[in-house]
Amino acid sequence: MTSDRGQVRSLDDPNIWVETPATIFDAVPPYPPRTEREAEFYHLRDGEMLINIGPQHPATHGVLRVVLKVDGERVVDLDPVLGYLHRGVEKICENGDWHHAISNCDPLEYVASMFSEAMPVLSAEKLLDLQVPRRAEYIRVLCWELNRIASHGLFMGWLALDLGGLTPLLYGFIERDTIVEMLAALTGQRLLFNYLRIGGVNRDLNHDFLSRLGDWMSRAAVELEQESRLLNENEIFVRRTTGMGRLDRDTALRLCVTGPNLRATGVPYDVRRAHPYSVYPELDFDIPTREEGDSYARYLLRIDEVRESIRIIDQVLHEMPDGPIMAKIPRLIRIPPGRAFISIESPRGQYSCYAMSDGSDQPFRLRIHDPSYFTLQAVGALMPGNLIADTMAVMASLDPVMGGIDK
Amino acid sequence: MRTLHDDEQFEFELLADLAGVDTGSEMWVVYHLWSPRSPDWLRIIAAGLSRDDPRVPSVTFIWKGAEWAEREAYDMFGIVFEGNRDLRRIYMPPDYTSFPLRKDFLLPDDAARSPGEGVRHVEQAFAPAEQLGARPVLRQGKLGPPAAGAAEQLAPGKEKPA
Repeated sequence: MTSDRGQVRSLDDPNIWVETPATIFDAVPPYPPRTEREAEFYHLRDGEMLINIGPQHPATHGVLRVVLKVDGERVVDLDPVLGYLHRGVEKICENGDWHHAISNCDPLEYVASMFSEAMPVLSAEKLLDLQVPRRAEYIRVLCWELNRIASHGLFMGWLALDLGGLTPLLYGFIERDTIVEMLAALTGQRLLFNYLRIGGVNRDLNHDFLSRLGDWMSRAAVELEQESRLLNENEIFVRRTTGMGRLDRDTALRLCVTGPNLRATGVPYDVRRAHPYSVYPELDFDIPTREEGDSYARYLLRIDEVRESIRIIDQVLHEMPDGPIMAKIPRLIRIPPGRAFISIESPRGQYSCYAMSDGSDQPFRLRIHDPSYFTLQAVGALMPGNLIADTMAVMASLDPVMGGIDK
Repeated sequence: MRTLHDDEQFEFELLADLAGVDTGSEMWVVYHLWSPRSPDWLRIIAAGLSRDDPRVPSVTFIWKGAEWAEREAYDMFGIVFEGNRDLRRIYMPPDYTSFPLRKDFLLPDDAARSPGEGVRHVEQAFAPAEQLGARPVLRQGKLGPPAAGAAEQLAPGKEKPA
């Protein structure tokens, strides 16, 4: 399985046949092992072989490359190879000012970028000790929860797609598209919103957004029930997810897994309640948990979370205060020297940021902690023993996003 | 760390974050821990690591999830975590020699401020001061970012064709 080099026609002259160059996609790296673990992984025992998946594979949710070590149809071990989407966002943030960091952090989590763009905003506010107007806080919570629903809607579709069902994906995209268009009416962008600002938000709620939102809210709960009925009791779906990729409480904590994946193992850790931020302490919502810790539990848990998010949006709309949407701050901000750690609950878990400022208008260090990174790491612990066909399904049920993993 | 994790008094079960930091004069490793018993995170800073050969003990035997976080800190800062079984580069290609998030890894042009110019990539070898004979201007305290073109002056002939 190492390389499959043959003859191909030359691009310059189709009559000439040339040797195909060695590619980086050979499963076995062309250098001696550098670590203990690498040596162990690339040493094949009897009957084992390596299979390379990716980096451009539609089932891997981004540009991820995984080297699988298989024995027959069973996965023995796997080694994710990252870096195909690495942009050096942290370095770019250090070289731009705090306002640039907002739009630079946007494409990290491109499925729910309202969360990743909050990182520089919230840490700058914490360093400035800035009081954000209440209306701005409510608008932020509204956007976060809408984005959470959009992200979970896509998750349901992708999970079914990776199990071989196309229909739920289309329904998932209908739901997601409604919300994304709604947010586009508010922010001007469909995916990378660049909407939050240090001290508030960019624009106030407008009529277009509110009418779309009201329209969607009137049928959201019913549509959610309809969509979940597509899968909840689908026999093939239930059989292929129940008991798959089971993660227990202690393993999940040791692997630093957070978010729905951790709550599906029975730990009620949600940053919105554990370390409240914004106006979440004033809102009434529950933290759903499940005990099983398998793919099916993770799926059901996310449906419960969507229900809670709809509840939150309902309350936010009823209690939305009047007032300014931006705090009074100068356009060019110098952030006082200091260190801040902030954390929010993204659809994939605890999204946190450790920011250091040296008193200039640029971040000195902006360390962004993406939950998907740790989720993907956990895949390595979950896979051994599964069938190859289930690899992507288990990965989909953990819901990592490569944009945040590769930074 | 072991006590913090195991002792019933503390029970810091979750490693919330592990970050490498280059302050310009020394290296740090910053840990944030979460415990169900505590209302806030616990921040532990392993400060004062030398820039030439930063080494800290690994925490992977407590939190297995720290493995990739340590790989990232190694990749970006060159911090060596003793005891990590899989300390190889994670983002950058295996034959890469620099540590990009160090403060002496200069971008010749500031991408965010003049997007039209773009970034011309200059790869600097590890410990550039000795090799180049000149100490690069590090961003410390109130120092501004290095002026555009500073890296070319510091590293003649090191620039790759754009």
